[in-house]
Amino acid sequence: MLKNYFKLAIKVLGRRKFFTFISLFGISFTLMILMLATAFFESEMGNNPPLSQKDQMIFVSRLSLSREFQDTTALIDSNLIDNVMTYDTTYSYEPAGRSMSRSSPSYSFLNDHLSDLPFVENKTFYKDGSSYDIFINGNKINFSAVYSDANFWEIHNFKFIAGKSFGQSEVDNQEQVAVISRKASLEYFGHTDNVLGEEIILDGKHFKVIGLIESGTASMSHINSKVYLPLTHVPASEIKDKGYLGGFEAVFLANNKENAIKLKDEINLKEKKIPLPADNSNDFNIINIEPMTFMEGYARSIVPSEKPEESLTTFFGIISFFLILFFLLPTLNLINLNVSRIMERSSEIGVRKAFGASSKTILFQFVFENIILTIIGGLIGFTLAVILIYVINDSQILEDTILNFNLKVFIYSLLICLFFGILSGLIPAWRMSKVHIVNALKQNSL
Amino acid sequence: MIKLKNISKIYKTKTVETLALNSVSINIEEGEFLSIMGPSGCGKSTLLNIMGLIDEPSNGDLSIGGYSIDDYNGKSIAKFRNEHLGFIFQSFHLINDLSVVDNVELPLLYRKVSSKVRRQMAEEALVKVGLKNRMKHFPSQLSGGQKQRVAIARAIVGKPNIILADEPTGNLDSVMGNEIMDILLGLNEEEKTTIVMVTHDEQMAKKTNRLIRLFDGSQVV
Repeated sequence: MLKNYFKLAIKVLGRRKFFTFISLFGISFTLMILMLATAFFESEMGNNPPLSQKDQMIFVSRLSLSREFQDTTALIDSNLIDNVMTYDTTYSYEPAGRSMSRSSPSYSFLNDHLSDLPFVENKTFYKDGSSYDIFINGNKINFSAVYSDANFWEIHNFKFIAGKSFGQSEVDNQEQVAVISRKASLEYFGHTDNVLGEEIILDGKHFKVIGLIESGTASMSHINSKVYLPLTHVPASEIKDKGYLGGFEAVFLANNKENAIKLKDEINLKEKKIPLPADNSNDFNIINIEPMTFMEGYARSIVPSEKPEESLTTFFGIISFFLILFFLLPTLNLINLNVSRIMERSSEIGVRKAFGASSKTILFQFVFENIILTIIGGLIGFTLAVILIYVINDSQILEDTILNFNLKVFIYSLLICLFFGILSGLIPAWRMSKVHIVNALKQNSL
Repeated sequence: MIKLKNISKIYKTKTVETLALNSVSINIEEGEFLSIMGPSGCGKSTLLNIMGLIDEPSNGDLSIGGYSIDDYNGKSIAKFRNEHLGFIFQSFHLINDLSVVDNVELPLLYRKVSSKVRRQMAEEALVKVGLKNRMKHFPSQLSGGQKQRVAIARAIVGKPNIILADEPTGNLDSVMGNEIMDILLGLNEEEKTTIVMVTHDEQMAKKTNRLIRLFDGSQVV
């Protein structure tokens, strides 16, 4: 029976070339975009190296010190009664303004106040955001640098193309070693072969390359830096600075996924117990640490808001809205096309029913035909997406974000295909399967 | 074989009620070849559709092979039609996108029959109507007479007890019409298939065992 349906589906598609083109174009284009989107989200939010443990990670990259001040306001209400003006004055004492200083925390703040948290399996403090201009053959290139401790490499499982990371002894001994990314190697040496042992010069200092890594796929600067150096190369004054604000960030690895949220709550509780900074010339009275999960951090980088939780909700709201819109338009279009396509075949439905097909069988036949159509559209969309992903990666439009076509993305896409097929075929097929045989047979076109 | 007792059919719209069949009672014996005649709009096709269980009477009782149709629901009626009834339509109603043999196989799709057996049965039916050599053709490549022969093959492939033919020669010239009539007569004589045929053609009707005439929804003979 399925073979018969398949033959018929192919015939019908071949007979109605324009309809088939419109349908296939709609399906394949939509699927291509969705496949690209899933590949992008998988690349950005999947458990990919070096953030394979991201579900256990809590990021602390911002700290704010603020002062809320209150003021007295007077509200005067005037009333004219019997030619006598009366005045009623109400005084209120309420928040009138806020001053704030926000930055990444200092090393000493992290070390003094966030070193003894519960649920923590590992933690790393690092300095991100440094950059160096390097001149190679008269061309200026810019190197972003991260100064990290040894734990950084335990928490982040970078893919090493060659060599290894620096350990505790290299950090303690302030050794002149560096781990560089593939991109940095290409820019600096022009190749990635045998770069271990070579030297790079940053700000007049010579660093020996001991590791060559692939950058992270997610858009987070600390995993997409060009060069990684031992933390001890940061000037001692910055490390020892007792001010709360500085240029450091931290990643805490909770001992399991469930405890990651508890850890975040602990950090939020901790901020109330931390004393105000010794040098508090601005009279700050509120400390806000702003710990975030990976997703909250990601959402906040796209939809900034005061609280990371709000960013996440807004982010998912926007994504859901566009996803529904993106699904809904082609699906409605397909339903519409399918209604007219199936209506044209009403006498076929009449004949099939007269010869013993039940409404359910008719329904199944048309849904099956639609699934065939969407699978063909899916294959075209799949091919287009593969080509487009190759072009995007090759041209580096998304810079460090590398899109991969993996099994998971293929399964998502296949499910999307089937969803489309069933949804766009079900409604018109259901309507037509209920048509009375006599009425269906009155239509002569087959 | 088919018993109709006081069958009436009323078509209702919001403003008008039309009586298509008025208390028709017919008893058709097993192996009989019955023809129904009457002017256009007298209810012939409606009566045939009711016998074929593709339309429901407004009133009256219908039983086929001793079973009252009231005992069946939608799904079992579909199964009953598939196993016991074969239809031949004036305008053939072949599926243009399917080959001749695939069209003939259609009733067997709704039975638990392997594709090999299905193909074998379809070929046998096509041999009976003399179209074995047109198996791979498509309906658009056939003449009107050949299309109707394919439709007959489709009607008989499932070996039904009853064939209901709605003006099977109506769209054909007299030569082709006679060919189709000969096939139907052969089926009735050799296979003892009960056939009910609606026709406008007096000559064709005379070849059958019995003739019933309808006028304005009522049986007149």
